[in-house]
Amino acid sequence: MNMTQLPIIKDVYGFLGPDLMACVTGLLLILMFVPLNSAFLVWVERKVAGHIQLRPGPMEVGPHGILQSLIDAVKLMCKEMITPDLADKYLFWIAPCTVVIPAIVCFVVIPFSPIMQVRELNVGILLIFAFSSISGLSILMGGWASNNKYSLIGAVRAVAQSIAYEIPLLLSTMSVIIMSNSLKMSEIVAAQSPVWNFVWQPVAAIIFIICTTAETNRAPFDLVEAESELVSGFHTEYTGMRDALFFMAEYTAMFIGSSMAVVLFFGGWYGPFFSGIFWFVLKAYLLVFVTVWIRWTFPRLRFDQLMNFAWKVLIPISLLNLLVTAIVIKVL
Amino acid sequence: MFSQMLQAGLYDFFFVFIFFIVSLALPVVMVALNSLIGPNYRGKRRGETYESGVAPIRTAWIQFGASYYLFALIFLAFDVDVLYLFPVLLSYQRGTGFAELVELFIFLFIISLAIVYAWRKGVFQWR
Repeated sequence: MNMTQLPIIKDVYGFLGPDLMACVTGLLLILMFVPLNSAFLVWVERKVAGHIQLRPGPMEVGPHGILQSLIDAVKLMCKEMITPDLADKYLFWIAPCTVVIPAIVCFVVIPFSPIMQVRELNVGILLIFAFSSISGLSILMGGWASNNKYSLIGAVRAVAQSIAYEIPLLLSTMSVIIMSNSLKMSEIVAAQSPVWNFVWQPVAAIIFIICTTAETNRAPFDLVEAESELVSGFHTEYTGMRDALFFMAEYTAMFIGSSMAVVLFFGGWYGPFFSGIFWFVLKAYLLVFVTVWIRWTFPRLRFDQLMNFAWKVLIPISLLNLLVTAIVIKVL
Repeated sequence: MFSQMLQAGLYDFFFVFIFFIVSLALPVVMVALNSLIGPNYRGKRRGETYESGVAPIRTAWIQFGASYYLFALIFLAFDVDVLYLFPVLLSYQRGTGFAELVELFIFLFIISLAIVYAWRKGVFQWR
């Protein structure tokens, strides 16, 4: 052994030390959490839908049907994966694989509690925005590659919708960032320890929740997969596990959107009596419940109403909100 | 190499990279499992495009929807500029005077002109 190798070994040890342990632990937890969470949310969705429509929903498998979506996952696993003859074979394969990337990578920066965060990045929120935009790309890929008119129309709508609602989403996030002066997720939460941002920024919070609902393609903004006109939109031609991957990505995106709203506006891990992961998860699932509630209560918008609502209402309001926040910060 | 990465501030992104690789592997594993377990009958009609039972007329790869194109153009004019605001917001509270506020106001005013222009041109009227 010559001595020149020693610093390299130290570097490698520093590299593979406790940080990597935290990373691997977090990764394993998240790999378990993502499928279970989407299975749970599918069950919640069906159950809430059932009770809103005055019927019990799934009841057979397990107590109150709680194991129903696990059985459905097994069923999807045993289905044939059909690739249409006319489809673009490669893109048809790549699209469901890439749609899962944001569902897992975004969890790197989400602070569940002061210690339960895989890695604090100084560009935390930007990372989430950057990776979330991959899902729009893979929806477009999947819809175009299917060579199906329903899929193509659904995919094009998805892109038009997600770019329209991304701007008010960014602007309402900015009015929080200008207050907390940081892009780090845990610093934004730590800045809300006495008073939640929701109190200072109610308009931004409401715009944020509307926009995450639209970004995850859920009713009343679900023209992407409007069943009455487009069969099921961009994933009409997908079967088996590849279909399930799209669903998993959608439900995980719902959870990520809600946890971002919790981080930005609802005080993260802070709560009455004590603070910790309990409050974070509780608030995130409450927001998810609100999204499900909205889906089964409101009718679907028309497409021009959808686009005009973003461009004519949400963007001017969020711009004004940002300006007012900037003025208040400078004056006070 | 590692110390250079540390100095470059890329250390944090190593973890993002690990997650990225695993998130590529997860769907591949799931789809591979499905193709092992699931049946694979290749019937004659099975690969047909699904259009509610009616035989499809030509492919779906056609040109349509010019309204979407205009929305994409406004998006490019607007959202790419909005991204420049992020560094501005981080250094907004550093100064004491009103210079930042005035600059922010001018910037937002100029990028809002894109929307005002599109509005006046009638892009938002659906035809």
